[in-house]
Amino acid sequence: MSVNQKSKASIRVLQVIIIGGLLIMLGRIFHLQILDYETYSPLSMQNSLRMEVVNPARGLIYDRNGTIIVENQPIYTILITPSLFELESLPLLADLLQMEEDIVLNQVEQAQQYSWHRSSRLFTEVSFEVFSEIQENLWQLPGIGHLIESKRNYPANVLASHANGYLSEANREEYLRDEHIRLGDNIGRSGLEMTYENLLRGEKGTSYIRVNAFGQALGSYDNGSLNIAPTKGADLITTIDADLQALAETLMENKQGGLVAMDPHTGSILSIVSAPQFDLNKLAGRMDQSYWQDLNSDRYTPLYNRAISSRQPPGSTFKPFMGLVGLHFGLITPDWEIYNPGYYLRGRRYNDIADPGYYNLNKAIEMSSNTYFFWLMDRIASRGLLNQWSNLIKDFGMGPINHIDLPYERTGIVPDSTYMNSTFGERRWGLGDLISLGVGQGMVSVSPLQMAVATSSLANGGYRVQPHIVSAIRHSDGKIQYTNPELTKIEWVRSENIELIKEAMKDALLNGGSRYYGAIPGIEIAGKTGTAQNPHGEDHGWFIAFAPADNPQIAIAVLMENSGFGSISATPIASLLIEQYLTGTTTRQHIYDHVINFKPELSDSE
Amino acid sequence: MQDKREFSWSVIFLWMALFTFGLIAIYSATQGEVAQFLPTYIQENFFRQSLWISISLVVLIVIQFVPPRTFQEGAYLFYIVSIILMIITLLFGVEISGSRSWLQIGPMNLQTGEITKIATILAAASYLTNRRDISSENLKTALITVLIFAIPIILLVLQNETGVAIVYLGILPVVLFWSGLPYGISALMVSPAIIVYFTILDWRLGIIAALISTIAIFLLQRRVWLTVTSLVFGVLVIVGAEVALNQVLQPHQRARIESFANPTLDPLGAGWNVLQAKTAIGSGGFQGKGFMEGTQTQLRFLPEQWTDFIFCVVGEEFGFLGASTLILLYSLLFLKLLSMAANHKHPFAQLMIVSVTFLYFTHFIVNIGSATALLPIIGIPLPFISYGGSAFLTNTILLAICLNLDYNKRSLSIYR
Repeated sequence: MSVNQKSKASIRVLQVIIIGGLLIMLGRIFHLQILDYETYSPLSMQNSLRMEVVNPARGLIYDRNGTIIVENQPIYTILITPSLFELESLPLLADLLQMEEDIVLNQVEQAQQYSWHRSSRLFTEVSFEVFSEIQENLWQLPGIGHLIESKRNYPANVLASHANGYLSEANREEYLRDEHIRLGDNIGRSGLEMTYENLLRGEKGTSYIRVNAFGQALGSYDNGSLNIAPTKGADLITTIDADLQALAETLMENKQGGLVAMDPHTGSILSIVSAPQFDLNKLAGRMDQSYWQDLNSDRYTPLYNRAISSRQPPGSTFKPFMGLVGLHFGLITPDWEIYNPGYYLRGRRYNDIADPGYYNLNKAIEMSSNTYFFWLMDRIASRGLLNQWSNLIKDFGMGPINHIDLPYERTGIVPDSTYMNSTFGERRWGLGDLISLGVGQGMVSVSPLQMAVATSSLANGGYRVQPHIVSAIRHSDGKIQYTNPELTKIEWVRSENIELIKEAMKDALLNGGSRYYGAIPGIEIAGKTGTAQNPHGEDHGWFIAFAPADNPQIAIAVLMENSGFGSISATPIASLLIEQYLTGTTTRQHIYDHVINFKPELSDSE
Repeated sequence: MQDKREFSWSVIFLWMALFTFGLIAIYSATQGEVAQFLPTYIQENFFRQSLWISISLVVLIVIQFVPPRTFQEGAYLFYIVSIILMIITLLFGVEISGSRSWLQIGPMNLQTGEITKIATILAAASYLTNRRDISSENLKTALITVLIFAIPIILLVLQNETGVAIVYLGILPVVLFWSGLPYGISALMVSPAIIVYFTILDWRLGIIAALISTIAIFLLQRRVWLTVTSLVFGVLVIVGAEVALNQVLQPHQRARIESFANPTLDPLGAGWNVLQAKTAIGSGGFQGKGFMEGTQTQLRFLPEQWTDFIFCVVGEEFGFLGASTLILLYSLLFLKLLSMAANHKHPFAQLMIVSVTFLYFTHFIVNIGSATALLPIIGIPLPFISYGGSAFLTNTILLAICLNLDYNKRSLSIYR
């Protein structure tokens, strides 16, 4: 074989190798670009486009005068995807965060432990300055991202923690159940936030954003033509009076109990407090976990809404309603009198601490004599009127659910024979278990809300109100939807009888035990104190009232647990609130100081 | 002097077409929207590359006036000097992204490994030109040739430039084959690479590859000892590769090697680059997304898109039309160079031109193979396209030498 011939053969081999290589490469790009185009084109779109869910602004909550009591506040969060993060950029990151490198590194390592590939929060609630610095330098910080979230903020001097309620992250079950909820969303857990969750939440939007490989947003895609704007949540206009609420919260500090003040003509809640309260600010945004644990283990159960959920005997505040029922049954007349020797005797001795003497209905309410009402209950029970009695009392809103727009409302107890049978067993109960019902003791138990509803019907001449906090819902399109709850006439209540009771309640404030802390110069109040016996500790104090007596604008019920006589514990609080609401200020500093310095003897159990 | 028309102008046109292609791609990869995510020194790559092209053009012209015999005569000296330069680099060089392959001379950073490419090819060509044909009975010449290649390969590995070392392994069998190494033994030299490749995909494929190559070697050269050697060797290679993958390499190193075949195993880790590169090329479709319009390129999804992954830029922005045009330009260049070698009478020139062709070809296959996920990602540039001054200059010098030898084919006597 000559050199030339051999070269020719070798050249052929090399040509074949080269042409082979070229064909392989051509085939490969044909495969990727022509055959698999449909696979890779969407992939590159997904790469460079990010669909973001745009959270709507949650609806605001206003008081009756237009003061914002719940609003939103942006919080700035720095995210990290550990797999994309480069340790070389740690010094820059720490510098931008204005933190020590060790601290940042520690957080990075925690994020790594959580997940290497999923993004997690590196720092939440950083300042806006830090946030914008990081945003500008994102391209130098692979694996770092950012997020603007929002949290609830309470700008007014009012917490209304039980009325407003708190939010917390939806759990897996909830977000699977409701298509509107995504993992990580906060939803209302109590109060109005919970009741009106569907309205407050709004509709999520979507936006398409161009992103680079570092996840840095580069502006909207195609001028936002594909974007769907979120719909803002509806605003709630409540009936709460922020000034009144603020005072009520101050007065209830360090106490245990509940109060409800309402417009007796409409059932609009002016103020609602359950004490102790909790600090909504600490539950907003990223929940303060240690605070949350404290709340849940607190023996005074601050999360429990005493204003609508507690069950306590109403004590003597029950007497005005007993009077109306007695008149309706015809068992008593306004002038009918009974002698009080200091006790009522029927099988056993029922004590009466009112002064001995003759009592008619007016005097029995004014001086809070028990004998009169023991006798009356005795008659009711003896004549087999227990079930009728129970129904009439329930007509005032004591006992049943009143459907206030807050969650966790509880019924009270106004026993009838069915209830007694189920509690004691059939025929295992008798008159002895019923007589004390006449003075609001024993089985009967109510919440401050129920007492406020009942008091309102005394104030408005016999109408059952529908208690409510939200008076109007302002939708995102500007339309306002009013709730307009209706009043129902309590058919059997006669207005002349109500006038009798009202007079007696006015007199109670002039002559009764409540006059010292209750009476307001220049304002006529109709009210009644109560003291509910508490087998577990100090008695619970009650006070119900409405004012001005002849043209009532506010009805109020105050329950002070473990605070002894209602006239000392509950009456001054109600009196100050009435003064505040009617005059816009409080003048009686000594009473204010008395309330502030008043310390209940808190028991271990409810 | 001969007629100017005998100069291979077509090669010059191909050279210019390729670097123009490269400039366009580098411009898009560093000056487009992506510039905002790149450090300034990388944004300047386009201008530096233009400068290097100008310098290379001057060098190319100057080389045309060098007497052709000089290349052969100076080869050994050049080889020794370049090896010394590499050793100096290894000791005193600048370390850039993990590899110590740059030597700072005044204001210039020189990649000494690039110069050694020229020197090694010249030295091997010069050495083999003076020998008789290599035969299977006398393998001493072959071993010395291997040694000439082995020295720079070892130095490159020490410099942590394994990728470049692979290029030498691509040329060596071709050089030996051209110098008369029997077909069977040449095939035996190439077979390990093929067997390892298939073993990485699947060890069963590796066995099939070993069997096929053994049969091929038997058909090429019916020697029992060679066939047996091939089979034993093939099995050893498979076992060695499997042991390396499973025992020697760390899981992440293994993932990096295997990710080209299955990037979804670790899409955010080792597979990321592979996935993004494939996505860039695939989403280019038939006609591409347009100059400076590639989302993968402009939004920084591609790593090193001005050098190792520049083919992705071409593929994404100019589509199948652009990418296949580029491949065709290379085809024309390679085949033109081969025909230059075939038409040459002088063995040194022949060997030189063949070596240069396969140097380009190896770069071409490995670079585009990496970008299209046919091969594990090995970071070497695409000749005349990728950004990189030293590489461009080296490749141009080699081309210039080939042109010189070709132009002077009549005056270069076969007889000394």
